[in-house]
Amino acid sequence: MSAEGRRLYWLIQWRRNDGLGALFLVLAAFVVLYAVLFPGIFAVGALAKFVQGWFPTAMVAAAQTIVMLTGGIDLSVGPMVSLGSVVAASTMQGPLGIFGGVLAVLALGACVGAITGSFVAIGRYPAIIVTLALSFVLRGVALLILPRPGGFVPPSLSEFLAGSHPTAAFLLVLFVILWKLYQATPLGIGLIAVGDNAEGAYRSGVNVTAVRLTAYILSGVLVSLTGLYVAAQTGSGDPVIGEPMTLAAIAAAVLGGVGFLGGQGTMRGALAGSLLMSVLINVMFFMGLPLVAQYVVQGLIIVCTVSLPLLRSTWQRAS
Amino acid sequence: MATGVVNTVFRLRSFLAAYARSLVAYGVVAALWIAASLLIAGFGAYAHLRYIVELAAVIGLVAVGQTVAVIAGGIDLSVSAVITVTAIILPLLSFDVDVSGLGAIALALAVAAGIGAVNGFAIGFLGLPPLIMTLAMATILQGLLVLIAGGSAISVSNATLDWLGSAHVLTVSAGIILWLAVAGACLFWLHGTRSGALVFAIGANPIVSRLSGVPIPRITLAIYVLSAICAGLAGLLLLSMNGQGYVGIGDPYLLSSIAAVVLGGTSILGGRGSYLGTIAGAVLLVTMTALITVVNASEGWRSVILGCLILGMLPLSGRDQSR
Amino acid sequence: MSSRQAILEARNVSKAFFGNQALRNVSIELIPGRIHALLGENGAGKSTLINLLSGALTPDSGEILVDGQAVTLAPRDAHRLGVAVVQQELSLAPHLSIAENIGLGAYPRRWGLVDYGRLAALVEEIGGQLGLIESRDTPVNRLPTGRRQVVEIAKALAIKPRVLILDEPTSSLAAPDVAMLMSLIRRLRGESVAILYISHRLNEIIDFCDYVTVLKDGAVTADRALVGLDPSGLVRLMVGRDPQNLFPHYAPQFAEDLVLEATNFRSGGATGVDFRLRRGELLGIGGLVGHGQEDFMLGLYAAAPAKADHFWARGGDGSVRTAPFAGVTEANMSGVAYVPADRRKEGLFLPHSIDFNLLLPSFARHAAERRQSAKEQGITEALARRLNIRGDRRRPVQVLSGGNQQKVVVSKWLPLEPSVLLLNDPTRGVDVETKREIYVALRAMAAEGKAVVLLSTDTPELVHLCDRVMVFHKGRIAATLDHAEASEEAIVAAAMGLSNAHAREGATV
Repeated sequence: MSAEGRRLYWLIQWRRNDGLGALFLVLAAFVVLYAVLFPGIFAVGALAKFVQGWFPTAMVAAAQTIVMLTGGIDLSVGPMVSLGSVVAASTMQGPLGIFGGVLAVLALGACVGAITGSFVAIGRYPAIIVTLALSFVLRGVALLILPRPGGFVPPSLSEFLAGSHPTAAFLLVLFVILWKLYQATPLGIGLIAVGDNAEGAYRSGVNVTAVRLTAYILSGVLVSLTGLYVAAQTGSGDPVIGEPMTLAAIAAAVLGGVGFLGGQGTMRGALAGSLLMSVLINVMFFMGLPLVAQYVVQGLIIVCTVSLPLLRSTWQRAS
Repeated sequence: MATGVVNTVFRLRSFLAAYARSLVAYGVVAALWIAASLLIAGFGAYAHLRYIVELAAVIGLVAVGQTVAVIAGGIDLSVSAVITVTAIILPLLSFDVDVSGLGAIALALAVAAGIGAVNGFAIGFLGLPPLIMTLAMATILQGLLVLIAGGSAISVSNATLDWLGSAHVLTVSAGIILWLAVAGACLFWLHGTRSGALVFAIGANPIVSRLSGVPIPRITLAIYVLSAICAGLAGLLLLSMNGQGYVGIGDPYLLSSIAAVVLGGTSILGGRGSYLGTIAGAVLLVTMTALITVVNASEGWRSVILGCLILGMLPLSGRDQSR
Repeated sequence: MSSRQAILEARNVSKAFFGNQALRNVSIELIPGRIHALLGENGAGKSTLINLLSGALTPDSGEILVDGQAVTLAPRDAHRLGVAVVQQELSLAPHLSIAENIGLGAYPRRWGLVDYGRLAALVEEIGGQLGLIESRDTPVNRLPTGRRQVVEIAKALAIKPRVLILDEPTSSLAAPDVAMLMSLIRRLRGESVAILYISHRLNEIIDFCDYVTVLKDGAVTADRALVGLDPSGLVRLMVGRDPQNLFPHYAPQFAEDLVLEATNFRSGGATGVDFRLRRGELLGIGGLVGHGQEDFMLGLYAAAPAKADHFWARGGDGSVRTAPFAGVTEANMSGVAYVPADRRKEGLFLPHSIDFNLLLPSFARHAAERRQSAKEQGITEALARRLNIRGDRRRPVQVLSGGNQQKVVVSKWLPLEPSVLLLNDPTRGVDVETKREIYVALRAMAAEGKAVVLLSTDTPELVHLCDRVMVFHKGRIAATLDHAEASEEAIVAAAMGLSNAHAREGATV
């Protein structure tokens, strides 16, 4: 790339940080608080464990962000994680082995994503109801395959993904690299264009259908692979383990500045949002709060985060 | 007199034309009932069909509020939590002084209305998206419920509820009568009053509504309070049928209420539809569950079929008009 | 000029929407090296024709030909074939940077990724030609409308078009940008680009274009070189009659008593507005798009927050308010009604019946009543008769023509008997006959004692209809002109901020 090109690219990237200052500050503050409560967090082992706990939330937040940028939403994230874990735990013991199992999960994510995407992008049905309906279907399928938590995940895989190796961190970095690459393609930039002004994007020659379809396929793949990861973490497949993750994904994305109307938001914001939520949960744990308190806090976070900019603009307009 | 008849016929015709989609659900229900009665022994017995409608009454009650919320362009994802809240706190609100139990019921419904008011205020006055606010409220409530009730079931003894759960008037269960009363009130409001027409307007186009002088914040508040009260009523009915409340009792009803609305032909985008279809949608859901149980299919199948049903109804329900 | 083959051509195309014929057997040829003007009243079919030529829509019948070959276009194909369109509705993505917007849909690529190097070079080159001084990484949502328009034009040029279609490109541009655009277009002509130019500004067209096609009610009424035509000749071709006949005879009927008065009224982009409105007066509001007039009107209606040092309003029921209305409902109760500019998005429930649309404001105002179909039918029938809306009123309002839709938007307020009617560009996209009907209706309302505030981008409307005209410039009132002083030149001059005797008189009446 020429010097001019590099300059333009990095200027644009720097611009994407606009509006994230407050989030980064709050995040830093909570990280400090966490370190104070648990000084051992910076040991390699503890840090790895933390990242392993953060990883699923980060990935579903990322998946939700991809879809929300196009102006859509995905309410089937949770059941898809469950289904991913179920498929992983069910296929790896057979002749397919680890490799086959991973492929099966990948294929699952891509197919379901393609189905969702077809309904939304080609059929033009509202994403809310399509993904809500699909969440029923996915939940049902997961229950049919594994009515109770079970299945089999090879210990070697569990050790590799969720053991003492810093694999999760590497996977996160890998994801960020892949995302930056995708964002530098016309389809990737198209995500924001379609979310911002779909009619305008169409008139500009952007393949709006392809952009939306790809968004749902990528999201589906990310989410089902997260299910695989969760299965490795727990050692088994669980048909309902992912239920709370839908809200967690939305919460993290919203916290990170991703808007519902589309076009607004960044992946770095969503990842920061998911990190903040993970830190919050851990802090609450260390403060002795019961596990369910985190749901209450999540709900409150969402309400506050969404209402603050609305309140601010109302005050601004009135004065 | 003649003009009166002409007017009624005119209204009936335009009503039918507008609500044709709602009537499809009735057709499907009728077809299923007839087929099942012929193929499965005992299905068509009055007691059995009445039982189906009794079960549908719970969904139907929740779906009153959900239908109105959806027609107004929103959605209420907190209904299952409100059902559970009502079912759990009613026993806690029982006082000896309150012999008939009506006092406790009124208090429980007041709590539900309060929850709805918070939703409605945030959505109508602060401008939060309904999906987010009600989802967040559901999460908060569920967390609070576990903190309050833990994993135990709480039994109830309330005279009015006992009556509700067991009484029959002219062989029709009290629960069904309650449903009919609420349904009638809802239909009258939506189709017979001007404020009901405003609900359709808000869902069709909030910008035009606002510029035409529709008091959107106030109506939104009322809608979500209504939805919560309906969920509360459903919770009470459920409690009267079950005898005890526990955390999670309301969970199946969120998706069922939305499914009933969609299956009944109301567009999820808002602005059109009718509770008339939702009634059939609720009955259809329970019928399907009954059929699945007969066939010995599991919870998993129920979930899959429910999802596929909704997807199948989508072409009838409405597309996203913009690109 | 030698006759060369048309790069882009429409042959006998027709297009209808919901039964309304927007275009009827229209043919047009875009020849390289020619600046071709497309003229026509609002609602004559210009936008539809552009959408057909650019592939955003397909014709019901007839053909679109590129280089002599019939094609079925989608916007992507159009780009590849070198057809670029700059429409009034921007196609930019506000959250993307200027550079990313300029290349949108046609990014230079390398190994599947966007080639930022070539993109940067392209943006530099075009940005330089257009005087784009902003930093290329700036998100477009940081730019004001006029600058966004420049980015939109840059985007069209980025595909190195062989055909450039411009729909009212100068409507939001500041004067220096207009001059820049003109010289750019002339240069493109020299490079054998075919240019289609749509504008209302007749003087622009006469100065600048070589050839003109005139559309009237969806059909071509003239297709000729501009030699020998003057502005009034053009108007006659567009309107089919002498412009004078369009407007009812001017007969002022305003009383002296005030209905509204405010000092230092401010809302949104409008500031420091002092104004008075009298009973039975038709007050016009003019100015270039985006100079605060719309903000003023929305603030007056309380659709947007507003403040004033002094505010006085007498409602239709005699009540008096001494502060700007707190909300739309209050404004309605005081007898103020508002007819928005974009009827499709802000004025009508498109899929709902004409009846529903006509009755809605009445429902909103008196919401605690039951529905009574006989009474309602009586109301809507009377309204339909008064403003000549024909046909079954149970039909969805979207099947009506633009003109009839506009009549619905205006009539729906009449049952509330408003004392002040605010209209935002009510004749935009409306055919000539309906315009005339609306003008007559407005004058009649003023005669009945209503006060009418008419915001218009059509200067002749302001000149011929209004008792006074307030012209906005950069958010403030540049001039308030009486009917006698309000000429097209005076209004345009004030709108441009050019000082003259009237402009210096300032804002107060």
